[in-house]
Amino acid sequence: MRGRVTRLVLGTVAALLVAGLPSSVSASDDDEVRKGGSCSGGADWEMRARWDDDNRIEVRGEVDHTTSGRAWSWKIKHNGSVSAQGRAVARGGDFEVRRSLVDLAGTDHCVFRAVKVRTGEVCRGAIDW
Amino acid sequence: MRFVRHPVVQYLAVAVVLFVALSVATSILSARVAATEARADARAVTVVLARSVAQPAIPKGLVDGNAGAIDKLDRQVLERLLVGDVRRVKIWRQDGTILYSDETRLIGAQYALDEEETEVLENGGTEAEVSDLSEPENRYETADAGLVEVYTRIRSPEGEPMLFEVYFSAEDLAERRAAVLAPFQRITIGGLLAMLVVATPIIWVLTRRLTRNARERERLLRASMTASEAERRRIARDLHDGVVQDLAGTAFSLTAVSRDDQVPSEVRDDLQRAGASLRTSLKALRSLLVSIHPPDLHADGLTAALTDLTAPAAAAHIESTVRVSDVGEVPDGTVALVWRVAQEAVRNAIRHAHADTLDVEVHRTDGHLVLVVTDDGDGFDPQADRDADSFGLRGLGSLVRDEGGRLDVRSTPGEGTEVRMEVKVP
Repeated sequence: MRGRVTRLVLGTVAALLVAGLPSSVSASDDDEVRKGGSCSGGADWEMRARWDDDNRIEVRGEVDHTTSGRAWSWKIKHNGSVSAQGRAVARGGDFEVRRSLVDLAGTDHCVFRAVKVRTGEVCRGAIDW
Repeated sequence: MRFVRHPVVQYLAVAVVLFVALSVATSILSARVAATEARADARAVTVVLARSVAQPAIPKGLVDGNAGAIDKLDRQVLERLLVGDVRRVKIWRQDGTILYSDETRLIGAQYALDEEETEVLENGGTEAEVSDLSEPENRYETADAGLVEVYTRIRSPEGEPMLFEVYFSAEDLAERRAAVLAPFQRITIGGLLAMLVVATPIIWVLTRRLTRNARERERLLRASMTASEAERRRIARDLHDGVVQDLAGTAFSLTAVSRDDQVPSEVRDDLQRAGASLRTSLKALRSLLVSIHPPDLHADGLTAALTDLTAPAAAAHIESTVRVSDVGEVPDGTVALVWRVAQEAVRNAIRHAHADTLDVEVHRTDGHLVLVVTDDGDGFDPQADRDADSFGLRGLGSLVRDEGGRLDVRSTPGEGTEVRMEVKVP
């Protein structure tokens, strides 16, 4: 019980730290915006956004350097509401999810968030499109 | 002109006019049916998309303009909504906000709903109308032939009514309408054409048969007239050479005897009366002979012959006049034809017209010899069925045509009759 509480506190602190940390990598060109950083554990995250063929925003969230076979729950939020969510299992040390978001008027705030189910490790990235 | 009078040509003309009229009428009616059908199809497609595709897929939060809900709907149903002839989809909130459209630039924009749209939102149903492309909500539409929008009501998971609107290309609807219309046109126009194709040879064959029969009847009529004339000529000649000569001789003898002083005066008076009576009968017999068969006619004797013809009119209390202008050189055959037509016309007037006056006129004009026989009698309807007597003029009409002329009978009930013959003369 104490261990679980400890993990929860550590996870929350780590998530807050991750959320507060600036991205370690940020790149963009006319077609794509790319950001990346470290998760609260040992994994890295990467997030990309670009136009797809249907004039939608294709958002790609990726977690690298993690333990294979471990389950992650993930969410993509669009302007604060959940656009897509699910579970994924890392294969070969990483996993990736892609979803199309509708380009709405004004700035579209897109967030990718993944939580490792077993450890509570949090990966979070955001792109304003 | 004769070509136009041909029954097959007349039938074809009427058939073509009817064909065009029926084709136009059926095309208009079919087009209306097809347009209604196409619009009904568009309504049906809209209702199916609304009930079966859009409404079940609408996520919670869409009615609030939730971006995540918009994404979910877009990913789940866009491909299933833009099917067939569907060109645009919009989902409206009651306040006129476009909650979702495949044209994402419209999402979140707000426009005033019109009366029909509000009516459907409040009371349900499905409406269709031609899109006004000048409206700002349609500013991204580029369909040249225009759009037709159909809308119906759906509900969000929260129970809020929303307007589900589908836009169809008017061109696509026109194509669908044409597809519905084509079989109708094939049936109606094909049927009419088939009838025309089948009926024309039948009419042609029947017309040929009728024409052949008419010619045969005319030939028989003319043969009968020729035979009758020959017979009349023989009778007239026999009477003239026999009875007339005998009667003339007897009358002459009676007159001679009545002047003999040796004969008692009372017998002489009787003989003179008998001679006078005999001469009167002889005169009547000669008149009859003229009417049975004309003498060898020449242009010079036409006036006298026509006067003889009209002589019986006096007995019928008809005042007759004969006017023959200077007709010049006219072939004897033409003079005979004039005499025969006049004979028939005068005879008809005396027998049937109950006329007070009868006028026979012959003149020459523009290379034609013209005979006009006019009476002020009862008249008749020339188009009505005629009795056997009318064959006389009809048969003569044939003779006149053979001579390159024409014979017209103009008459109106109560307004007399005019028989006019024109024959070309050299």
